[in-house]
Amino acid sequence: MSTDPTPAPLDTDEPDKLVLHARDVHFDWSELDLHWIPGEPFATHVINVLHLLLPEGERWFVEVFKQAVPHITDDELRQQVLGFIGQEAVHAEAHAGVLDHMEAHGLDPRPYVEQIAWLFRVVLGDRNLSDAREFAWLRTRLAVIAGIEHYTAVLGQWVLDARKLDQVGTDPTMLDLLRWHGAEEVEHRAVAFDLYMHVDGGYTRRALAMGVAAVALASLWVRGVGFLVANDPYLKGRINGVRPRVSWALRDGRRGLIPHLGRLARAIPDYLRRRYHPSQHGSTSQAVAYLAVSPSARAAEAAEQETTR
Amino acid sequence: MSGDRRRRVEHGSQYYADPGSPVGLFRRDRPDRFMLALERLAAGIEPLTALLRPGHPPPKPREDLRMRVAKVEHSSDDVAVLTLAPTVSGATLPAWQPGHHVDVLLDGGVLRQYSLNGDPADRSHYRIAVRRIKGGLGSGLVHGLAEGDTVELRGPRNAFPFVRAERYLFLAGGIGITPILPMVKAAHAVGRPFRLVYTGRARHTMPFLNELPEDADVFVRPDDEYGTPGAAELLAGLEPGTAVYVCGPAPLISGVRALIPEGTPFFSERFSPAPIIDGRPFEVRLGPSGQVLRVAEDETALDVLRRARPDTPYSCRQGFCGTCRVGLLEGSPEHRDRLTGGSSRGRDFIPCVSRAAEGERLVLDL
Repeated sequence: MSTDPTPAPLDTDEPDKLVLHARDVHFDWSELDLHWIPGEPFATHVINVLHLLLPEGERWFVEVFKQAVPHITDDELRQQVLGFIGQEAVHAEAHAGVLDHMEAHGLDPRPYVEQIAWLFRVVLGDRNLSDAREFAWLRTRLAVIAGIEHYTAVLGQWVLDARKLDQVGTDPTMLDLLRWHGAEEVEHRAVAFDLYMHVDGGYTRRALAMGVAAVALASLWVRGVGFLVANDPYLKGRINGVRPRVSWALRDGRRGLIPHLGRLARAIPDYLRRRYHPSQHGSTSQAVAYLAVSPSARAAEAAEQETTR
Repeated sequence: MSGDRRRRVEHGSQYYADPGSPVGLFRRDRPDRFMLALERLAAGIEPLTALLRPGHPPPKPREDLRMRVAKVEHSSDDVAVLTLAPTVSGATLPAWQPGHHVDVLLDGGVLRQYSLNGDPADRSHYRIAVRRIKGGLGSGLVHGLAEGDTVELRGPRNAFPFVRAERYLFLAGGIGITPILPMVKAAHAVGRPFRLVYTGRARHTMPFLNELPEDADVFVRPDDEYGTPGAAELLAGLEPGTAVYVCGPAPLISGVRALIPEGTPFFSERFSPAPIIDGRPFEVRLGPSGQVLRVAEDETALDVLRRARPDTPYSCRQGFCGTCRVGLLEGSPEHRDRLTGGSSRGRDFIPCVSRAAEGERLVLDL
């Protein structure tokens, strides 16, 4: 939506109390280039790591949240959590579709995704604990998800704002996937935090979980970029004859092709404030406005209406 | 978008169902030291966090809003306008915005959603408007309410978000004016450009004609004066940057949706789940030796499971998200879901939409 000149604010500018619902989106990857930000294989693979991490990560969110549902005593929160679960389930399968596409282009994501599957299904799985420890472990995992969801909201807001991606001719279907997903992350950004605060709310657990999650995610991301560049059949480990460097991430962040590392680092102290709430960051109205123009979300809505009435 | 909306994802959930101990990303013949370090970290943290107490005791359930019918008006044929005030006098109601609705709990556990359409700044009461539908259970019950009766509400919730735009085109058909009216008033109050086209059968069937702003671009368009409206006519003169809000009968919404140019924000209210088509009664058993429950022809297996187990997880209720998926131990279902996440059909059952032949008993892994 055009924002220039910026319309004067209404006192209803940030829609509140949204009913969350999954959208049955579908994407056609048959025309997608392996380097879907043209001429920018490094930035492409930095974002591609999301496709490697998210399907298994979001399937895990769904499993953990399903376990949490019986502990919710607030009907409004339960509705939000159920909406959240459906959105995450669709996100997981939408990103998994990109993995199929990578494999078709000769980049087999399996070695990396298998590790991620082991991490989420075994390490962060149920761990065969006794009742009291099982419930504590559930609350710890909810704290981890609340921390990760803070990041997904930051990333979602970033991709909604990332005009540079339009300017450089990014594949429009991929951009729609990223922005549809980002918009839903912004739309439901408070749910994981509210759920954690509802069933536990302790500060130490939430701070500890964020610390561990941030370090683990950063490491997994670096490893993911290394894996993709090394296994990319066109790159074979080198971009313009050089192995990838951390400084490239800073450079492409400054250019606006990927999220800036400084912004990602600042997200941690934001989250660690005792009075933090996800509604303090990001724009629901921008998210909802994108979903109202997103080709995939619009097609899902039209198809839904076909079957509904 | 193809007509086939089922998912076929190779790298789906089943593909990674049984991950082995991690081997190196590059040296596949040795364990991955980084991943094993993460396992040690988790194994160390888990008992530590088990010592942390919750930050607060388990919260008490939130109560429904008890409301008294303060006023019943009939502003047009078949439309009841209800003013609802809290039973505790002087209480302040939860805040709402244009587009919000409430769930109204009626006799016999009937739950209906109605848009709020009064003044959001006045938190002493809510206002809803309900058209009587021939044979409609919910609307019949609402029309049976009299001043002094009590009802319970849940919400407010927002399934029709009203967002900032340079200008608006509001299209309301009949009782569809209810959520649109507060949007029109809000846009008018801050001087945001908008156009409202309000359609209906005839003026005497169209509520709130006397509340529409007078010094604004408002076109009241009853069919008996102008004929049945076409979507193209309603969208005539649409400028880029206009957000289109539509509420009314389904053909109005789908007709307009089909003609909305790419890049123009389009908003319509969310629908309730699809009606059950061609349903037959069948049975589900909860586990090999569990309870047997009957699923009537006009309800879903999920409805039945939720009555037996209120914490049953579900989400989309349209058979695409897979949240309510349960294992199938025995029986032949009619799968009506859109295959999700590489699930192997036959061993799974999606109770929100899938059914079985008349008299069939499905044994679910519950």
